[in-house]
Amino acid sequence: MSVTYIDAIREAQAKLLREDPRVFLYGQDIATFGGAFKATKGLAEEFPGRVYDAPISEDAMIGLAVGAAIEGMRPIVEMQFADFSSVAFNQIVNQAATHFYRTGVPVPLTVRLPSGGTPGSGPFHSQSMESIYAHYPGLVVLTPATVTDAYHMLLDGVALDDPVIYCEHKFLYRWLKAKSINGEHLPIGQARITRPGKHATVVAYSAMVHEAIRAADRLQEEGGWEIEVVDLRSVKPLDMDTVLASVARTGRLLAVGEAFPWGGVTAEVVARVAAEGFHLLDAPPMRLNARDTPVPYHPKLWAAHRPTPESIAVAIRQLLSF
Amino acid sequence: MNSGSLAFRVPELDVKPFADEAFLNRDYLRAAFRSMLRARVLENKLSSLYKAGKIVGGVYLGRGQEAVSACLGAALIQGKDFFAPLIRDQAGRDAFGEPMIDCTRTYLGSVLGPMRGRDGNIHRGRPKNGMPAMISHLGAQVSLVAGMLFAKRQKGELAGVVGATCIGDGATSTGAFHEGLNLAAMEKLPLVIVIANNQFAYSTPTDRQFACRDLVEKARGYGVAGHVVDGTDLLACASVIGNAVKRAREGGGPQMIVAHLLRLSGHGEHDDGSYVPDTLKAGHYGRDCLEIAIQQLVAQGYATAEEIQTWQDETAEEVQRAVAQAQQEPTPDPFTEDWRALSTRFS
Amino acid sequence: MPQLGESIAEATILRIDVAVGTLVRADQEIIEVETNKAVMGVTTLCSGTVSEIRCQEGVSYSVGTLLGLLEVTEEEVARTGVETMEAMEAKRSIVPEPGSPRAEANLHFGAQDDSYEEAPAVVPSVKGLPVPTGTMGAHYISPRMRARMDDLGLREADISAIAGTGAGGRVTVEDLERFIEYIETWPSSQASPMRLAVADAMRRSWTRPLATVGLPVRLDRVLDHRRKSDPKPGLTLYLLRAFAIALSEDPASAGFLMGEKVVHPRAFDIGVAVQVDDGVVVPVVRKVDQKSLPELVAEYADLVDRGRRRRLTEADLKGGIATVTNFGTFGLTLGTPIPLPNETLILGIGAGVKKPVWSDQVEAFVPATEASLALTFDHRVVDGGGAGLLLKRISELLQKPEAL
Repeated sequence: MSVTYIDAIREAQAKLLREDPRVFLYGQDIATFGGAFKATKGLAEEFPGRVYDAPISEDAMIGLAVGAAIEGMRPIVEMQFADFSSVAFNQIVNQAATHFYRTGVPVPLTVRLPSGGTPGSGPFHSQSMESIYAHYPGLVVLTPATVTDAYHMLLDGVALDDPVIYCEHKFLYRWLKAKSINGEHLPIGQARITRPGKHATVVAYSAMVHEAIRAADRLQEEGGWEIEVVDLRSVKPLDMDTVLASVARTGRLLAVGEAFPWGGVTAEVVARVAAEGFHLLDAPPMRLNARDTPVPYHPKLWAAHRPTPESIAVAIRQLLSF
Repeated sequence: MNSGSLAFRVPELDVKPFADEAFLNRDYLRAAFRSMLRARVLENKLSSLYKAGKIVGGVYLGRGQEAVSACLGAALIQGKDFFAPLIRDQAGRDAFGEPMIDCTRTYLGSVLGPMRGRDGNIHRGRPKNGMPAMISHLGAQVSLVAGMLFAKRQKGELAGVVGATCIGDGATSTGAFHEGLNLAAMEKLPLVIVIANNQFAYSTPTDRQFACRDLVEKARGYGVAGHVVDGTDLLACASVIGNAVKRAREGGGPQMIVAHLLRLSGHGEHDDGSYVPDTLKAGHYGRDCLEIAIQQLVAQGYATAEEIQTWQDETAEEVQRAVAQAQQEPTPDPFTEDWRALSTRFS
Repeated sequence: MPQLGESIAEATILRIDVAVGTLVRADQEIIEVETNKAVMGVTTLCSGTVSEIRCQEGVSYSVGTLLGLLEVTEEEVARTGVETMEAMEAKRSIVPEPGSPRAEANLHFGAQDDSYEEAPAVVPSVKGLPVPTGTMGAHYISPRMRARMDDLGLREADISAIAGTGAGGRVTVEDLERFIEYIETWPSSQASPMRLAVADAMRRSWTRPLATVGLPVRLDRVLDHRRKSDPKPGLTLYLLRAFAIALSEDPASAGFLMGEKVVHPRAFDIGVAVQVDDGVVVPVVRKVDQKSLPELVAEYADLVDRGRRRRLTEADLKGGIATVTNFGTFGLTLGTPIPLPNETLILGIGAGVKKPVWSDQVEAFVPATEASLALTFDHRVVDGGGAGLLLKRISELLQKPEAL
């Protein structure tokens, strides 16, 4: 009996609909059709009047969610692809994210963004937008990398009074399985040591955690290197305590992300470690991201665009040889 | 009815004229008028404060739009309905119950205002009292109000509730307006949207804004009821706007009202509006709705000249007090300010 | 760039001996590189024709960098077993057939039916290095290294014993910790504050270019004079007086360099090195040029006594312009003393030894007591010639002890 990452997301939404009358789902094709990825399969039937097909109006979908949240509801808006949330950018960063600061009234909405690349998806179905949203004050940005986190972080995110951007990775949907949705989980704001080590720290999130683990395995085989992998889990808030403790153990840092290289999560991690943990570093901190181009369509190009176990391993080797 | 270079014809729409004259009643008209008057006196004061350098940031007046705004606000029910005002809705805010001190506090930077210095001028509101605070991106409030109504429906509390918002001729060009109205219409929510066509979006005349003959034609496109009204005429506004609100309240679906008027101030007080042609100012829509209203109320016996004078004096005093109080209050202190944008405290 | 040595991380291209189109044999040296240890050669793996050169003379490249390409025949590939670029590309190809053995190895998210079972959550069990609080010589020292060194009270000089395994041979914090662990298995004792003070002074002094010149000096006259004196001045006191007089005749040689100026001494206050438990102290005798030998005896004796009893004050130790040291008292004949960090000169004398010396007068070897005078100087201020003149003058003065 195994549970996939997308099963976990569906289960979490089902639980929310069952137990919290304030929750409703709003997204394109999510009702009878069950969603483009089937994240809401069966939910419209099981919970009539709670799951709605939205028109192709991302701006209005979020505006509606903000208004509903002000009135005490807990809407979950599914963007069909993270890439399309840019149409709703204004409502997310200017309406939702500023609301509590400006008026004192929090906006407990959750936006689910199917993020990240899959072969052949191309520039507009592959984006990772966590960095953009994390940049704006007033948003919580989550990037679950495990089946357990996919389940629990969605529940915890909806329970927050603040707007949550929930970046679920499309590749992990069916590829990642677990025996069960394990009962124990960490709170939002705490990162997890996925793999302990002592020679270098690799900080990653979402699908890159799995790529980092592969790279770490490779280095273990090659030279007995013990590479510690940290799964950030939430990009905002960022758990610097765990990251710094890891760098204290290893002295070397590589931050890996699937997003574009200019700025972003990996830059934030490196900047904070350099500022708060300068004396912990035995080598200059490194970052590895996608290339500075839109995400290409051809699978061969796509595979070279984003960090892979090989490229992560090369980066780690460079870090170790300093 | 029309004049100057603005020519329009009311297109053939499926609009039945209101037979119900329920809104042409004394209480409603006097309430609407008083809000118009209070808005005008307050905004004249804001204008002089701005010119005296006492206000930081922009000042946006609703001069010329008071009748439209007040009639909408007065038709809504505080504590039940939602009203998302825009930048020229002082009269509507007043009619909907916003205390005058909220306005002076926000403009004069008192930390005791509803926005606590974190936003200013017309970007103020009280979301928990059904009056959301606008953001600067026009059109964004339409879907927000739709969402508030949607929540009511989810809770089974939508019966008899109306959500209203105002928008200008320029803002009807935004994608947000389109998406919001389309969604509200599709969801069959009791949304009343008042488009104040004051003929200019900042310096841009309407022939650079849309190609349809009259904005009310869009109503058909969205599948909502459409009405036009002479925004300078209080009685006309009372009838059309009041009844549209009633229709929405009674399950008649979304209502679009296009009010024709002229902006009688600059876009903001920093703008002298010298691009508005004199012909328009001299034309029918260039009339001051406040003067028209006074004539109409006195003529119809809804108020006397003495009463109006008394209201004017009382208002002047109230404005004076509200300004003085706000000016004496503390401003925000960056050192004691709670610099957080999230309500959750993560450890 | 091949791995040229255990700790080599990069090398600089000195000379490229081929050009595009050159035919090469297997194992032919075609590029000459320089590491920080030696000049070495990069050789070919097989024969072929140079098709691309991707490096430049004078530039440094890390181990593993592609420096150039050879065009080779298939027979040569078969013969030597070299890996061609094409073969490497093929290995990296990422549209694997479903079920192909490469699918898992190269691209993790390759095939559609591929899946991965998660491991349960883990807790770190490694304690790792302690968190530091607040080089093969002087190479790059990382912030973590510096913090750890500060924590342990170490300086760069202290870690010169450690061979570094980091890039460019730098000492990494792991190297340091291993070394410390290793040293901790050896017996050790706590260095006293005196020891640490001397260590610090000598380290600072040594940052200058120091040189020593020596001259044998005949002590017979001095020893004679001393025998007839009461109270008896120590040999060091004779040397002190001679030094002071010589310096007063050429103050610049005891000056110190500040930028473009040589700052001359204002008073000829000269220190005397006194050996104490576990260290050396240098009390300063004031205005030695202006006091005669008998006048200095009491002051000198008092300073030496208090020095040995560790009763010297800060004022006693300040302001010297040069120092005198008598290592002859330990039985040493030769020495290269080190001046104090703020002084340019130190004058030392070894033990007097009875030896035959040639006398021109009697044209025979006559017995005499000779000792070595050694003058160490900061070569930025003084040269050998100047030092030599100074020593000669001192030797002259010591032949007329009654004038001191």
